[in-house]
Amino acid sequence: MLKNSGVAERDLVEKVYPSEERRKKGAFAAIECFQRIPCDPCVASCKRGAISPPADINDIPTADFDKCNGCGLCISVCPGLAIFVIDENYSVDEALIKLPYEFLPLPIVGDIVFGTDRGGSPVCKAKVVQVVNTKSSNRTPVVSLAVPKELSMDVRGFCFDDGKEKCECDCANTQPHLHTPHSTLHTQYICRCEGITLDKIREYVAHGYTTLNEIKIISRAGMGACQGRTCRQLILNELAKTTGQPIDKMPVSTFRPPVQPIKMGLLLSEEEQK
Amino acid sequence: MNKTSSIVIIGGGISGAAVAYELAKRGQKDIILIEREYLSGGATGRCGAGVRMQWGTKMNCLLAKYAIEKFETLNEELDYEYDVEFKQGGYLMCASTQKEYDQFVKNVALQNSLGINSRIITPAEAKEIVPYINTDYMIGGTFHQKDGHLNPFHTTLAYARAAERLGVEIMKYTAVTGIDVQNGKIKGVMTDKGYIATETVLNAAGGYSQQIAEMVGVTLPLYSQRHQIMVTEPVIPIQGPMFMGFVHNIYIQQTPHGSFIMGRGDAYEPKDLRVTSGWQFMEDMARNCAKLLPALRDLNIVRQWAGLYNMSPDKQPIYGVVEGVEGMYVAAGYSGHGFMFGPVTGVVMAEMMLGLPTTVDVSALGPDRFASGKLFVEPSVV
Repeated sequence: MLKNSGVAERDLVEKVYPSEERRKKGAFAAIECFQRIPCDPCVASCKRGAISPPADINDIPTADFDKCNGCGLCISVCPGLAIFVIDENYSVDEALIKLPYEFLPLPIVGDIVFGTDRGGSPVCKAKVVQVVNTKSSNRTPVVSLAVPKELSMDVRGFCFDDGKEKCECDCANTQPHLHTPHSTLHTQYICRCEGITLDKIREYVAHGYTTLNEIKIISRAGMGACQGRTCRQLILNELAKTTGQPIDKMPVSTFRPPVQPIKMGLLLSEEEQK
Repeated sequence: MNKTSSIVIIGGGISGAAVAYELAKRGQKDIILIEREYLSGGATGRCGAGVRMQWGTKMNCLLAKYAIEKFETLNEELDYEYDVEFKQGGYLMCASTQKEYDQFVKNVALQNSLGINSRIITPAEAKEIVPYINTDYMIGGTFHQKDGHLNPFHTTLAYARAAERLGVEIMKYTAVTGIDVQNGKIKGVMTDKGYIATETVLNAAGGYSQQIAEMVGVTLPLYSQRHQIMVTEPVIPIQGPMFMGFVHNIYIQQTPHGSFIMGRGDAYEPKDLRVTSGWQFMEDMARNCAKLLPALRDLNIVRQWAGLYNMSPDKQPIYGVVEGVEGMYVAAGYSGHGFMFGPVTGVVMAEMMLGLPTTVDVSALGPDRFASGKLFVEPSVV
């Protein structure tokens, strides 16, 4: 399921969470990393040694919640955007979620946005209370959202528009209270390499192209430099939603070499390179 | 779910889609097109998608000329809502040996006699057309402006959508499991979605056409062979024509999207149905590309893939009636140029199946030519 949808199930997530008792004590890092890949920047980022060096570079990192104080230094360094900081003591009825956010525009403190679950569906309104985008963020800004306390385990992203209400201006967006300029919010990109928007994908689905390969051949989504690493799961989720097919039964496109783009000249011998 | 149909077309590539459209356009009703995966999922969607009139036999020149003239107005004719992305940037054929050059001189004389305005060019003239050619490996070449490139996905979908508007039923993700033949006559087609009663079947299954033929007990002298391709990141338009050489066994084209598509054949490929990727191809391709077009060595390769050439003994297609099985037709064996012949395949097969005289005389391309030994080998294929 995780492989096709890219969305972690609740039972998977609960396994990496601290005890009820620890959660009441204050902020902690939720490491929602479920794929064995050779990656360990989080280990070095923690000044308190709460993330132990792995025996094998592919091992999945875990946090020692006795050492973790929820400082959030590990959020920006995770290339997979898989680490969050949760503080369930933020206010009487709100929890604070610190999350990595690599899209433009950035929200502005005070914006009311829509908190989304791991699959990207809006689940509540959320208030932006901090936006950290310093040099040490290394272009992965961290946004802090105040969300209803009971959704502390669920909100892991946000969007500016839940598609349900009509915006006061004629922009077709929905922002109950938003300082971020409207004009920058209209387009949701599914395939960033080829510039394919969600609207365009929906147009193709409406024309009867309802499998990943069909969307790929007609739109070029997935043919770019990343070869579908970003859009494959986004498109599968959209297709599952619109066609009602279970996502783990949907055919995916073929994985082909090279694993990452490679300069043609590098394949030549030294003599040929001259 | 059982159905009845007047004509069943097996194969949803360019050939099947074009024949379906041309049949429907001529008033034929109750056509079903069956595709095992998605439209253009086989050789069509995997091909280099170059189209050229510069051939070495009269038959191929005439077929290609007719097809390319149709490509020029395809968006309009099919009333397609997107774009088939036809780029008429020409083909620059590079001769690296005297033998290859002599063949090109013969080819151009033939082409000119058939109204194709190709011409012999010197290495210096080639450099004017593609400034970064390394002419060290070139003794001469030919050029024809009206050759070019299309998007094979959109071209197939354009035909398929036009066919659907005219009433053709397209069954995607449906596999043919058998063909029902009784007393030498077609009675129906078995699929994994049910039985289709019909008296006429067209085998347009590309790389799998010999398997379909076996279902009616006929052995076609065809085999399939993997050909590999790779594509680079997109850059600004710098190359007009397809660059092609037979001695170096390569073709390299910049698509309107900006990426370079390049492929080559390998005579040692096994004759089977594999479409996996081989590690050696990328190195061989890079080596030959860097030798002939050195400027491209700085481009990043983003993907490699493979498709099937469906090879016939004389590297020419088979168009015709299958002897001994009434109602069975075949359009296959394109030997690597099925995509570019798509429009003409559509027209001549539709005419043949409706008992009309064919626009281009393809009587010499029937499946019976192999038994009679009347072959005419195409000299100019990658």
